[in-house]
Amino acid sequence: MKDYENGYHISFFKPTTERARFNRGIVLWLTTIWFVAIFGFHIALRVLEKPTPEPPLIAYENVWENIRYGTYGEADLQAFARSTLSVLGKIAINEDERLLLSGSMSWSALGLVPEPVRQEITAEIAEFEAMKASGIAYNDPSYIDAKNRIAGKFTPLIGLSVQDPLTRILPLELTTQGIGSLSDEAVTRLPSIMQKYLLHNQSVLTDTKFLGFPFHYFYSSVFLLILFIGLCWLYCVRSDRRNKILGIVD
Amino acid sequence: MKKIYSLLVLLGIPALTMAASTATELEGGFQTGPAIILLFILVLFVMVGIVFRAKNTNDYYAAGRGISKVGSGMAIASNWMSAASFLGMAALMYGSGYHGLAYVVGWTGGYVLLLILMAGQIRKYGKYTAADFIGDRYYSQSLRAVGAIIAIFISIVYCVGQFGGIGLMFKWILGIEYALAVIIGGTVVLAYTLISGMLGVTKNMQIQYVIIITSFLIPLFILHFKFDYFWILPQIGYGSLVTDIVSGVPLVETGQLFNSLGHEFAMAPSPEFAMPWDPATGKTFFQWIAIAFSLMVGTAGLPHVIQRFYVVPKASDARWSVVWGLFFICILYWSAPAYAAFGKILSANPEVGKLAKDAIVVYTAQLGNVHPLIVGLLAAGGVSAAFSTVSGLLVAGSSAFAHDLYVKVINPDAKPRNQLIAARLGTILMAIIVTVIALAELALIGELVAVAFSLAGCTIFPLFLLGIWWSGSNRQGAIAGLIAGGLVSVVALTYFIAGKMGAVLPAHEFISYWLEAWYFAVFGAPLAIIVNIVVSKLTKETPIEIRKFLIENVHS
Repeated sequence: MKDYENGYHISFFKPTTERARFNRGIVLWLTTIWFVAIFGFHIALRVLEKPTPEPPLIAYENVWENIRYGTYGEADLQAFARSTLSVLGKIAINEDERLLLSGSMSWSALGLVPEPVRQEITAEIAEFEAMKASGIAYNDPSYIDAKNRIAGKFTPLIGLSVQDPLTRILPLELTTQGIGSLSDEAVTRLPSIMQKYLLHNQSVLTDTKFLGFPFHYFYSSVFLLILFIGLCWLYCVRSDRRNKILGIVD
Repeated sequence: MKKIYSLLVLLGIPALTMAASTATELEGGFQTGPAIILLFILVLFVMVGIVFRAKNTNDYYAAGRGISKVGSGMAIASNWMSAASFLGMAALMYGSGYHGLAYVVGWTGGYVLLLILMAGQIRKYGKYTAADFIGDRYYSQSLRAVGAIIAIFISIVYCVGQFGGIGLMFKWILGIEYALAVIIGGTVVLAYTLISGMLGVTKNMQIQYVIIITSFLIPLFILHFKFDYFWILPQIGYGSLVTDIVSGVPLVETGQLFNSLGHEFAMAPSPEFAMPWDPATGKTFFQWIAIAFSLMVGTAGLPHVIQRFYVVPKASDARWSVVWGLFFICILYWSAPAYAAFGKILSANPEVGKLAKDAIVVYTAQLGNVHPLIVGLLAAGGVSAAFSTVSGLLVAGSSAFAHDLYVKVINPDAKPRNQLIAARLGTILMAIIVTVIALAELALIGELVAVAFSLAGCTIFPLFLLGIWWSGSNRQGAIAGLIAGGLVSVVALTYFIAGKMGAVLPAHEFISYWLEAWYFAVFGAPLAIIVNIVVSKLTKETPIEIRKFLIENVHS
């Protein structure tokens, strides 16, 4: 009796035909490569990663205690304003957190304005806020003028370089709401918000560059797809060859 | 055929040239150029469908089983590349950075499973639909009916995301509200499906693929060229852009580069865009793995994908068509992250405002100052991607209704005319249901489509996997496995819908995290497989005819 007639059972792990045995071997090999390439790499990414702070988080943590207990100086306020602004420069921020951050940033930025002109500048910001709320076109000359005027005043005050893209964000995020003091909510929530946006999972796999990409990004977005095509191609070639050897005709 | 093309070209070119002068706005207003391009493409699809129309049942369901490997690969790619691929993937990466790559990996890695575990064997089994296979392999009319119902349900869920994409693109092209756009878009796609149906569907899919991929790639070359990245191979060229986003692009280095709203091509450092499971995105390592896994098993269980293997002449063609199909799909998948990266930097200034993530591909091209006509082609490509998939899904769903339920279970003596009426009614009913759900805007397109994958992964994938590879899997095991996978699906979807309606169920946070609607197959699929095996072991053996068929026809 031929082996495949033995009870007519087919099982991946107990193959009863030559073709099924071949299939088991190649499927096990290819799925192992596939599995390790996808999940193995990402487990390695997870194991190797270290929470790595962005420079603004370090700057923020250095001054936070002084800010919190009101023992800050001008340099502390500058560092605080820059670090909160750097979070506001990120595009995907929870709206609730954005309000808190812009309030805190505005409080610190206005704290740097000399007392005699503070009221005047606050009024200027309020006027710009009203302009924004009125739905004025962003290319309206009066809007652009007001925006540039505010940016021009605050950029040196908080110590931003003129090449810093945050100079473009700054006037848009300044607000006059609740700038008298740092709110209790801000005191409570700011540390976790700052960590959330400025602490990243980095490792040698994310910091190494390959063809311009961070390596892990290249691996997942480009290499894995090439590998998948390669595995499929290999399977087809091997299957066709084995079918020929076994005399199997589709 | 040549006459049709010539006529379309003669009519189309002057209209398009006229439309080119129409300025494209970021939002609002009727976009003449894109509207003409869209109309032109749809007419082309219908014409091709008529010329290559099916002549008999075999043609209708399986394109006469005469499609080449490359042609079938293109059809697989076109069938596959929906609004979720065209619009949704970039949206996911734009919104949650590296987390979005789980979708890229999941939607491509699944093809490896599909090929090595199923493609050739499914073709050798020789059925027309997934329900056919299930009913036959598990010798049960009830399971055939359940298989058909699941296929219809999956098609509906899958279509919801597509209708969302169609709605967004119609909203952009016609300058109308989203709800109205979904209704108009849904009506157009329904009319298109009823007119073309499966007429020459495979040939049509090949042409659709060429249009979809061309419309997707052209703006990408232009964006890379304009913003001084390696444009010859944009799929690699955007690597430096990703690095720039991580480290920030200062104003001084950008020279005269601006977006279409006049903002400098600059942004503050944003490592959260590229770093894995970044806290800023709110996504975790588990979610990355769960999504990739669920999408992969779902890919190998989607009825309309499995159905493509019935249209090739031989099992080896089925295998090679996967290789070609995956290659054609990857061309788009290698490119989509570049749109997300450009979108991120071009919309970095808050003055750009909040953009609909699912339309970020089109907004990116607009913000990048790409010619309005090419942006229009891109939008029309997005609609075509959704149309090709929706029409395939509606046909697959209505086939399941008319062929697997009505003829095979309800009325075996039905005349062909009645079968056709049942199919048409099924199509209309499905389109109405899908439109109503799409109006609710439940989630991003890619996420909604992922629900269909998880459903397929929990229900159909285990039945096919065990049905092909283990003759011991019997009817009782299949039923038990289906119940287990179905229960997981019901729990996950109940919590998802309750959450959307603002209701809080017991252990809501726990269930919503571990069994989220886009990845519940991570637990559902293994559970369904285990239950199927255990119950099969404890119950009566699979009939000898089935085992013999598996040995002699599928594995020899």
